[in-house]
Amino acid sequence: MEFTKNKEGVFLVLAVTGRLDAITARDFEEECKACIASGEKRLVVDLAGLEYISSAGLRSILAVAKLLKPLGGDLAFCDLAGIVAEVFAMSGFAKLLPVFATRQEALARA
Amino acid sequence: MRRGVVRKLTHGLAFRLAALVLPATGLVLVSIVAATYFLTREALLQNAETNAKNLAQALVNRIESVLAPIPRVVRGVAYDLEDEHLSDAGIRLRQRRVLADNDAIYGMAVAFEPHARHAEQIYFAPYIFRTPLGPKATNLGGPNYRYHGMDWYQIPRELDQTVWSEPYYDEGGGNSLMTTCSMPFHHLQNGKRMVEGVVTADVSLEWLTRLVAGTSVLDTGYAYLITRNGTYVTHPTPGVAFHETIFSRAEENGDTDLRRIGQDMIRGGSRFVPTTSLHTGKPGFLVYTPLPSTGWSLGVFYPRDELLAEVHRQALVSAGIGGGAFLALAVLVAFIARGITQPLRRLTIAAREVAGGNLEAPLPAPLGHDEVAELAFSFGNMQASLRDYIRDLTTATANRERMESELRIAHDIQMGILPKIFPPFPNRREIDLFARLTPAREVGGDFYDFFLIGPDHFCFLVGDVSGKGVPAAFYMAVAKTLIKAVAESTRSGADPGRILSRANDDLALDNDSCMFVTIFCGVLDMNTGEVRYACAGHNPPVLLRAGGAPALLPTRQEPVAGALEGVSYSTDTMSLAPGDWLLLYTDGVTEAMNPAQDLYGERRLLEQSAGFGDADAQSICDRLSEDVRVFAAGAEQSDDITLLAMRFRGPGANAG
Repeated sequence: MEFTKNKEGVFLVLAVTGRLDAITARDFEEECKACIASGEKRLVVDLAGLEYISSAGLRSILAVAKLLKPLGGDLAFCDLAGIVAEVFAMSGFAKLLPVFATRQEALARA
Repeated sequence: MRRGVVRKLTHGLAFRLAALVLPATGLVLVSIVAATYFLTREALLQNAETNAKNLAQALVNRIESVLAPIPRVVRGVAYDLEDEHLSDAGIRLRQRRVLADNDAIYGMAVAFEPHARHAEQIYFAPYIFRTPLGPKATNLGGPNYRYHGMDWYQIPRELDQTVWSEPYYDEGGGNSLMTTCSMPFHHLQNGKRMVEGVVTADVSLEWLTRLVAGTSVLDTGYAYLITRNGTYVTHPTPGVAFHETIFSRAEENGDTDLRRIGQDMIRGGSRFVPTTSLHTGKPGFLVYTPLPSTGWSLGVFYPRDELLAEVHRQALVSAGIGGGAFLALAVLVAFIARGITQPLRRLTIAAREVAGGNLEAPLPAPLGHDEVAELAFSFGNMQASLRDYIRDLTTATANRERMESELRIAHDIQMGILPKIFPPFPNRREIDLFARLTPAREVGGDFYDFFLIGPDHFCFLVGDVSGKGVPAAFYMAVAKTLIKAVAESTRSGADPGRILSRANDDLALDNDSCMFVTIFCGVLDMNTGEVRYACAGHNPPVLLRAGGAPALLPTRQEPVAGALEGVSYSTDTMSLAPGDWLLLYTDGVTEAMNPAQDLYGERRLLEQSAGFGDADAQSICDRLSEDVRVFAAGAEQSDDITLLAMRFRGPGANAG
């Protein structure tokens, strides 16, 4: 799994490619924690390149979201496609966390 | 676990060392011996020519010391005859004196021309010769001995010079083997020198043949003498002397070399030539040199093998010394190699024992500070490390086994809390229900449950905890217990939305691990067939209406339980007619993978469900499990697979 980071205004956009499963969930969590540790509080995770997400992957997302909440930050997602979008929908994560169709929409928030 | 095969050492270190050192040494030794042999031979052959020439010359000198004075003696008598006008008695006296003064002369004749001395006598030739009783005087010539025509007389007379005759066996004269030195003497007639007669001195050749034949040349070498005509005077082969010439012998044997040698010999040549002896058949060298007084030639033959015998002896001695040294070296090499390999062999035996599993096998104590000792030391370290490692491994394995055993127990406990008696309520005929959980290798977090709430409501649910392992198992146990407790409490009112909302709040509380669980929970009113249900992020169940096509039950896709506090779940309602099915499952079914990493998927699940028709709950679970197994085609099952099939038979089915 690979990460690409871009600072866009107040947001840090983290583009994730590959599979987010039991093996890579820890990497994702560590990467996000590193971003938070460097002062980023508003993360937008671009999932356009994500092929698969498992329940362990969802758990890591939840952990990051919970970490940001007391800091006044937030964790948003954009560009979900295919099975990843299905999983987000079915698990209700789409209702728990802000999910946007495109990156522009995610960044257009006030 | 001993690998019984012991490799046989066919080319050990000792062998290789010997194979390396010995041929090289052998080559050097052979080279030295060969070089010594050839150099010595060359030197010896060069010496041999000089020695042979010296020997021949010495022999010639000895013969010459006897023969050379004889022509002078004869000439002295001839001068006396020419100048002194000796009387007959004077001639005889002179002859006696010659014999007395010259031991080598056997007899002496003064032979006159016919009628030259005494007009009436054709033959006048006073002759004196030695007998055992002293010199005896006689006269040669007569009808039986017409000396004027004989070689000894005629040849010097015609040539008018000193002539040595061919050797002959003189029967009329001295009765022995002779050669005669003849010289004409003259008188003046009308101012012209006319031959008056011939003076001869007979020389016995017995001593000469003895001298030449007695000359020993090595073992089978020999000397011989030929006259100026090539006739053999002496020769080691019996019957050759006086009967054959060097040319007749060459002709007889077709030996052109010998003929050429013979021609050179009678020309007075002196040479050292390689040749093959007709006498012995051996190759060798012939040295020949002329006898100046007679014009004869002396040949001395040296057999090559005997000439080289010394060289051979020396070569043998050096080869012997070399061979001895070689053997000593071989023994030394074997000894050294043994010294090197002995500790190695002992180490190998010990290593084999260690490899066989005996880590306590005693190692040979390393001697000295060489490489082998270092190896033994390293091997000892390795043995110790191996021992430690295996001890650690044994401990680790024991620990792991204990942990696995505990995990197995945890798993058993987990499975144990699932209801497993079917049919669950034999006296409730309204429903046909069967559930099955096929665990993955790792402890997972799937669960199912069903129970009655009050007399008319039947609650059924399937859940899937995020992640795997012991944490998931714990969470699952907590979730299952919690849901049942909430559902059975009167406050929930058998409403799935409220059950999930309350369970979620309890699960989300202090959930630092961020685990969550997806749940589908339904409550069937067994009198009406009405099902109220709620879904916390779970897969939508399959609904199969009797006689209809299977479809996914629409759910609201509300969040997973345990993630966030305060989530409120909605309750939906639908109605089951008698014979309708509901099939609950976890993502272990739809996300089962085959080796090509294809997912089983909802489409296939629906296609399979279409064929169930009137099948009972257990066979539905059996057939779906089997289809998933066939689809996976041996790929490892990564997640728990849970199926719960429930058919509503209708309220009237309850016989009570």
